[in-house]
Amino acid sequence: MDKTTPAILAKGLTKFYGSFQALHGVDLRVERGEIFGFLGPNGAGKTTTIRCLLDLIHRDGGEAVVLGIDPQADPVGVRRLTGYMPGELHLDQSLTAEALLRYFNALRGNSADWSQISSLADRLDLELKQPIRNLSHGNKQKVGVVQALMHKPQLIIMDEPTQGLDPLMQQEVLRLLREAQAAGGTVFFSSHIMSEVESVAQRVGIIRDGRIAEVADPKTLGKRSLNRVRVRFQKPVDSASLAQVKGVTVLSTDNATGVRLQVEGEVDSLIKALAQFPVSDFETERPSLEEAFLAYYDDHTKGSQLPGSKA
Amino acid sequence: MITVFKHTFLRSRGAILGWGVTMALMGMIFAPFYDTISENAQQFEQLIDIYPQELMAFFGASGTFNFTTPEGFLAVEYFSYMPLVVGVFAILAGSALLAADEERGILDLIAAHPVSRTSLFWGRLLALLLSLVLIMGFGYLGLMLGTTYSAMELDALLLVYPFASLLGLLIFFAGLALFMSMLLPSRGTAAMVAGVVLVASFFLNGLANLNDSLDNLKPLLPTRYYQSQDWVSGFRWDWFAGLAGIGLLLAVLAWWLFLRRDIRVGGEGSWKLPRWRRSPAKA
Repeated sequence: MDKTTPAILAKGLTKFYGSFQALHGVDLRVERGEIFGFLGPNGAGKTTTIRCLLDLIHRDGGEAVVLGIDPQADPVGVRRLTGYMPGELHLDQSLTAEALLRYFNALRGNSADWSQISSLADRLDLELKQPIRNLSHGNKQKVGVVQALMHKPQLIIMDEPTQGLDPLMQQEVLRLLREAQAAGGTVFFSSHIMSEVESVAQRVGIIRDGRIAEVADPKTLGKRSLNRVRVRFQKPVDSASLAQVKGVTVLSTDNATGVRLQVEGEVDSLIKALAQFPVSDFETERPSLEEAFLAYYDDHTKGSQLPGSKA
Repeated sequence: MITVFKHTFLRSRGAILGWGVTMALMGMIFAPFYDTISENAQQFEQLIDIYPQELMAFFGASGTFNFTTPEGFLAVEYFSYMPLVVGVFAILAGSALLAADEERGILDLIAAHPVSRTSLFWGRLLALLLSLVLIMGFGYLGLMLGTTYSAMELDALLLVYPFASLLGLLIFFAGLALFMSMLLPSRGTAAMVAGVVLVASFFLNGLANLNDSLDNLKPLLPTRYYQSQDWVSGFRWDWFAGLAGIGLLLAVLAWWLFLRRDIRVGGEGSWKLPRWRRSPAKA
């Protein structure tokens, strides 16, 4: 196998569900050994892209190559080298976590060492003897993480891997992904948490309406993200002047003593502008990554093509 | 394929035991009743003579049929309605083979492992076929056990024939349900369609024994080729091969469809029957 080929290469990937076109020509390149964040709102085509790459669904047009293999020509070959965790994880409720993992391992020709599975379970604090039906959502998620990583795959594809996990376990999963990368693996994952993407991913791809809107460094994208600010004043003020500050939009006012603002990019200008008012309380809230980018693309692409999209 | 076969078979062991033990118990319970029949054969024959011939014909008991022989007794009291009893299992299991896991979202993750769709399909189907054989085996053993404490004398080999014939019918309906589950939008719809075919075939076959005008329909009814009686005179290999062959052909078509279709997780790409909509009221 040619190790110089990208881990994932998609060109003009299209997919229809009946008359509905879910993918409008997805172009994507993920290099070997990188952690790539894949972001987009619900229905944008994230899951459809991932499922095309694994040939769980058949693409209608375009090309896809995963680890040098066309998934439509050799789906088993692609899946042998890949660890996959779906966004909506459903597991056989009639089995214990151990029985399910043994079955998955048998499907992989017992390529995973059981000590590796036990080690992953220990790190994630997962009780393997428990029946799946008795596991909480978070613990089921851990089973999903273990089955995706247990055979040390060359490519890890995960859809929202930390969803439903407590913060400590979220950190542990991210640590596992970094370790997989350090061991030479490639990670392709989606997330809604900006700090998570910033801390792990080297590059981020944004998909919207079945097209890749942009691929960029997560820090660059982070600077464009939005903050929501709630300010309470000691006495009524004219908030109209705040709307003049660059990047600030007034979302709502409350009896002239409270105002809710949206700030694009840095909040420095806003803080300087607020200094002239008697502020009694100041609270920031960071919208979800998805929300932030949606707002960004709404503002910047109205009436024009998305950056990086094809005409 | 062996891993898929083993896993599917082990997952079915509860169903095999449930349906198999039920069939075995039915055989064990019914066989001793034959003693009463044989001891009072003359009275029973008189009683049957006064039964409406149409009723007896519905169960295929007409002409030279003798209710007081072991085969005649078993044909009416045991084998005649077995297609409806175990046919339900064949249809539920056939329609669920892949569609149930698909509807529960489990198939997505299984299919993401290095197992081809062909292995997944045939591994599961082989496990289903073995389940059907074992359920028939339980039924056979139960009936044989029942004959040990009754006056019924049956050739152990000959008694295999009606069970083998029933197996052919079950393969047909399992194949039909499986094919429907690949063709129709839901497992429930597939099971319903196959169930309607089973029930309609069963009753039309009975009615065709009463009404000559249905004679033309008879060759099209799957239950027509089930040997619930006359098995003492030999096994109808042609009937068995026809039923099992068509069942397996439907399974091959289902496999062909499975290779070409998307594995669904949220009903995407599905289709619905057209819904009748009331036209908007005019102002």
